[in-house]
Amino acid sequence: MIFLEFDFLRYALIIGLMIGVVAPVAGVFVVVRKTPMIADAMSHTALTGIAFHLWLASYLVWLSEWNPLYTGILFTFIVSFLIEYLRRRFQAFQELSIPVVMASAIGLGVVFISLADGFNNDLFNYLFGSILTVNAADAVVIGIISAVSLLLFLLFYKELLFLAFDEEQAAVNGIPVQRVNLLFAGITAVIVASSISILGVLLVSALITLPAAAALRVASTFKSMFLYAVVFGETAVLAGFFASYYYDLSSGGTIAVVSFLIWTIIVLAEKVAGQRRQRPWKEAKWTDKANQ
Amino acid sequence: MEDSTKTLLEVNHLSFRYESELVLDDINMNINQGDFVGLVGPNGSGKSTLVRVLLGLHKHYQGEVRWFGTPVRQFHQWPKIGYVSQKANRFNAGFPVTVYEVVAMGLYGKKGLLRFLNRKDKQRIHEALEQVDMLGYKKKNMGRLSGGQQQRVFIARALVSDPEVLILDEPTVGVDAASAQAFYERLSHWNREKGITLILVTHDVGAMTKYVTKVACLNQQLHFHGTTREFEESDLAGAYGHDVHIIHHEHDHHAGGA
Amino acid sequence: MFDINFVERSIIAAVLIGLTAPLIGSFLVVRRSSLIADSLAHVTLTGVTAGVLAGNLQAFWDINPLYTGFLFAFAGSLIIERVRHTYGGFQELAAPILMAAAVGLSAVFMSISADGVTEWYGYLFGSVVSVQMEDLWFIGLMTIAALGLLAAFGRELMFLSFDEEMAAAAGIPVKVFNVLLAVLLAIVISASMQVVGVLLAGALITLPAAAAMQWASGFKRMLLIAVIIGEASVAAGVTGSILFGIASGGGTVVTAAFILFATLLLRTWINWKRNRRLKYERHQGA
Ligand SMILES: Nc1ncnc2c1ncn2[C@@H]1O[C@H](COP(=O)(O)OP(=O)(O)OP(=O)(O)O)[C@@H](O)[C@H]1O
Ligand SMILES: [Mg+2]
Repeated sequence: MIFLEFDFLRYALIIGLMIGVVAPVAGVFVVVRKTPMIADAMSHTALTGIAFHLWLASYLVWLSEWNPLYTGILFTFIVSFLIEYLRRRFQAFQELSIPVVMASAIGLGVVFISLADGFNNDLFNYLFGSILTVNAADAVVIGIISAVSLLLFLLFYKELLFLAFDEEQAAVNGIPVQRVNLLFAGITAVIVASSISILGVLLVSALITLPAAAALRVASTFKSMFLYAVVFGETAVLAGFFASYYYDLSSGGTIAVVSFLIWTIIVLAEKVAGQRRQRPWKEAKWTDKANQ
Repeated sequence: MEDSTKTLLEVNHLSFRYESELVLDDINMNINQGDFVGLVGPNGSGKSTLVRVLLGLHKHYQGEVRWFGTPVRQFHQWPKIGYVSQKANRFNAGFPVTVYEVVAMGLYGKKGLLRFLNRKDKQRIHEALEQVDMLGYKKKNMGRLSGGQQQRVFIARALVSDPEVLILDEPTVGVDAASAQAFYERLSHWNREKGITLILVTHDVGAMTKYVTKVACLNQQLHFHGTTREFEESDLAGAYGHDVHIIHHEHDHHAGGA
Repeated sequence: MFDINFVERSIIAAVLIGLTAPLIGSFLVVRRSSLIADSLAHVTLTGVTAGVLAGNLQAFWDINPLYTGFLFAFAGSLIIERVRHTYGGFQELAAPILMAAAVGLSAVFMSISADGVTEWYGYLFGSVVSVQMEDLWFIGLMTIAALGLLAAFGRELMFLSFDEEMAAAAGIPVKVFNVLLAVLLAIVISASMQVVGVLLAGALITLPAAAAMQWASGFKRMLLIAVIIGEASVAAGVTGSILFGIASGGGTVVTAAFILFATLLLRTWINWKRNRRLKYERHQGA
């Protein structure tokens, strides 16, 4: 393949493929926990971090040597804990905690950008993603983050599943609810922030939510949902990559649009097949034999 | 005879309020190993709330609650206590999870962090499903079962960790009369043969008194707590049975009480 | 026609948006669908980018992109309702699905279009100082439409938001009014585009209503408080924009968020004091 001769394209492809695994995997948990917008809230927070970095860098020159994305990761990480705190602190306010955090984050981000005089092409790349900006170091960092995240998901699989299905019952069974919630928020934050280089702040949640939402429609066991989500996610990433290389379209945009197309096809296919979920109302009878 | 057995649960001067409304007022009760307790009371009388306090889900109560001698706030051996919530059926029907996966959850707390299920655990899951006659459904999607079947799966999940105590909050809602009867038989069997201590919240006073060994009548305060025979001899039985039955028909969860 | 300068134009635009956005937001918040505002705002962006792209490609296309934005927002609000119904237990997925698709399409359109990033920034973050006379007409028209609809059908919309089932039982044509609410939302979002921008329109709609909910016991009172908070926020936004050159959306939303957090802290403190008093009285009684 000709284009792989360019280093940055090779790194972009590697990063894309890694993100194509971890983002949909995180998405499965995000979706079944019924907090799909959390990815948006986190990515917008990353923008705040990036903008803060740019603003600070206009005073502290040494800061400009660093990739603002790392400040973004830091911000997202902190805010993920803030969201959990708000959710617990203001019970009646649970469903609002995400839009509120998201709104405040982006409002603050915009103020920082204004102060940094940052309405330029760089910002645009952060917003919508650009595969032209990645290098070997990014690939290594994102590789490590992906590996660690997947490992943690594997190790805490059973707790995460139980929490998503029934948080109260999980608490009764002695699962450390708060700590697992915090852990999950932390992992998601890091995954979201590291996806920004390819997808952009505004499109990260597409690769997290859409493949999982599509998988939700076809999977009947929880484990199979991961498989579907990753397959959908990787398909979208590859499509986005080639579209941006050959047709000069936005890579993040194409990934989101392809994910959406996959989702649409699945919904339509279900309609056409007329495969309505049926509930067999037949009751199983209590047999007598187990009473003996 | 009761004095010689082990006391599992002690409740002393327990009071509880949501925001400002007093829901539980100075409750005192003990539950011994091997008891089969029926907890009755009209809608909104605080039965579910009492159960949730016992389970450590409401922390800001006044008074004292001890499991196996340990105050609830310090208690950590939750796998010893199985629980099926009144709202268990209200889980998300679209959740892609099989019957087997749901029952497996019952072992997660017992296993602890960073441990995976082994062959013995899988055997245990099968047994639990067998105990509720649902083994044939183990690969079915949870959302596609009927209400009564889902209820059984949740009971299996409570049983799978081999609990010493099983707390069931209105488990027979949505179960037909014959099945409910069989279900009580089954509970009674577990109670006698396996020595599982049972706390059963129910409105079904008539059927219940045949099986339970102790009755507790709750309506903000604990109006009665004693053996089934004492309950039947007291005038409460008639009054409560009647009262409870009428309210049972208009099944409205949060309207009751004030 | 009218001889007003950019400062006056921006103040008028901001005051109008500060009025309508919190009003419609109050309905959304009590209906527990505040996320819809955000996702429709992004759909509006798709409409705007499509409009600009059409202008690029065809010389005789000369329609203000705000109108295509409005059309897309309207279509989007209808789609969301449909998607909500296809997901039984996971209705909250509808908004993020549409949002992701909308931003994706916008990004693709922008990458095709010849326009530079500066134009997009205006739509994304709002730039109240660049409101033209033509835009002001659009905003004014939309405000009148929104207020008229609210005055005529506010009562039914409130009933619907509070309890859809009961409203249906009471003979209110639920479907029609859901569409009406969608139209209203599309109107308000496309009008607020230039004041706060796509990324922040949802915030201006939700935050004041969320804060007002903490203080009001009745719905009318909630509307009033929400509007006051909304106006205070846009006032701060416009001031920051004119005096310090801060993007107007940023200042507006940061102010609204600040008011909300202050409200929450104050509420918590009040509750804490009340609980302490209750405990004390119990103690005295015992
Ligand atoms: N989360 C809550 N917040 C505030 N009040 C509550 C809450 N849950 C229950 N209540 C109130 O506490 C009282 C007792 O409720 P509870 O659910 O314990 O009753 P119950 O005896 O289980 O009723 P039912 O027979 O209908 O299940 C009711 O008045 C109810 O309104
Ligand atoms: Mg109850």
